[in-house]
Amino acid sequence: MTTPTPLSRHILTLADTKRLLGIRYSDWILGSPSIETGIAASSMAQDEWGHARLLYAMLKKQGFDPFEVEHTRPAGRYYSAPALDRPFADWADFTAAVVVVDGALSVALESFAAGDFALARTRVPKMLAEEEYHLQFGSAWFARLADAGGDAQARLHESAMAMLPSTLAWLLPGDDVYDDLVAEGRVWAAEQVREGCRNRLAATLARAGITLADLEPDRNGWDPERRRGPGAPGEEAVERARGDRNRDLFVE
Amino acid sequence: MRRRRLKTLLAEQPAPMVHASGGRDRWSDPLPAAPVDKPGALRAALGEVLDPELPISLVELGLVYGVDFADGTARVDLTFTATACPCMDFIKQDVRDRIGSEPWVDSVEINEVWDPPWTTARISEAGRSKLGRLGVGV
Repeated sequence: MTTPTPLSRHILTLADTKRLLGIRYSDWILGSPSIETGIAASSMAQDEWGHARLLYAMLKKQGFDPFEVEHTRPAGRYYSAPALDRPFADWADFTAAVVVVDGALSVALESFAAGDFALARTRVPKMLAEEEYHLQFGSAWFARLADAGGDAQARLHESAMAMLPSTLAWLLPGDDVYDDLVAEGRVWAAEQVREGCRNRLAATLARAGITLADLEPDRNGWDPERRRGPGAPGEEAVERARGDRNRDLFVE
Repeated sequence: MRRRRLKTLLAEQPAPMVHASGGRDRWSDPLPAAPVDKPGALRAALGEVLDPELPISLVELGLVYGVDFADGTARVDLTFTATACPCMDFIKQDVRDRIGSEPWVDSVEINEVWDPPWTTARISEAGRSKLGRLGVGV
């Protein structure tokens, strides 16, 4: 595989997270609180995979073989956000992920679209337009569970707090790669990302009693190669992401 | 005069909900000779290609962002309503088949574009009118 550059590593970070998020959403097409929420989960899974496809395709001009990237990598070479390593345990996890992980992804995409990489400038705005529906859906369900009090609020708080530190580190790695990306004009500077994060997440999280400003990114066990915390997505999810069962049916 | 008015009236109607892929059962025959205005002829041909889900054409739906013709190759800048549109492959095949049916077209290139992002605002007035007659508000 081609040696990753800061730009290609950033694209992998976004694309792998989109792909895993789509899988986690798809787990709830059946079994969510209502038929309508299942349909929403289906639509959001579809969006995430559409975004992943456009992002992976950006790697072609970076010297990568998109087929190899999408269909051959082992779990240990995924750059996805750690909050998606395991399946969501319940609807509170799902809701927290829409707000925290999908929200962080959108901030990262806003930053990428504002940079000077032409493919990001021309493709990401469509993704962000589709993400507006995810934002509305996630915010509404977050408020609903938070305002319910009792066990629902407690579970939501627990889920969001479990996802936030590693996701903030994923969003703001504070590494040399990020510094290079900023210097190359590819993404926002860290402070602007923090501001984007505050604008998108703070008010929603506050409904569950979470103060974003009090949280610190968790960089324990940081993997500098994959630019994420320790661990890897579960093998079953990666088999689905790679399309292992259909390997003999690929026609392209 | 009466026949012409009837034809105009029919053209303003949405296509039947049941039709062959891309509306190919309603496509015109290929032009008998190469037209002078080839991009215009290509756009007219694309105006016959129906969206798989809505009974209006890709042009009316606002998915065709550009058409060009050079050295026997027709180039179409095409967008989609969603990044994961499940009908992408059908639509591309319908475009290839309709344009490729013209004998003066040697090859068809489809350039997938996402800028500017498609929204319902890109549906033409004619498309809106047809959808409105089906009770679809946009």
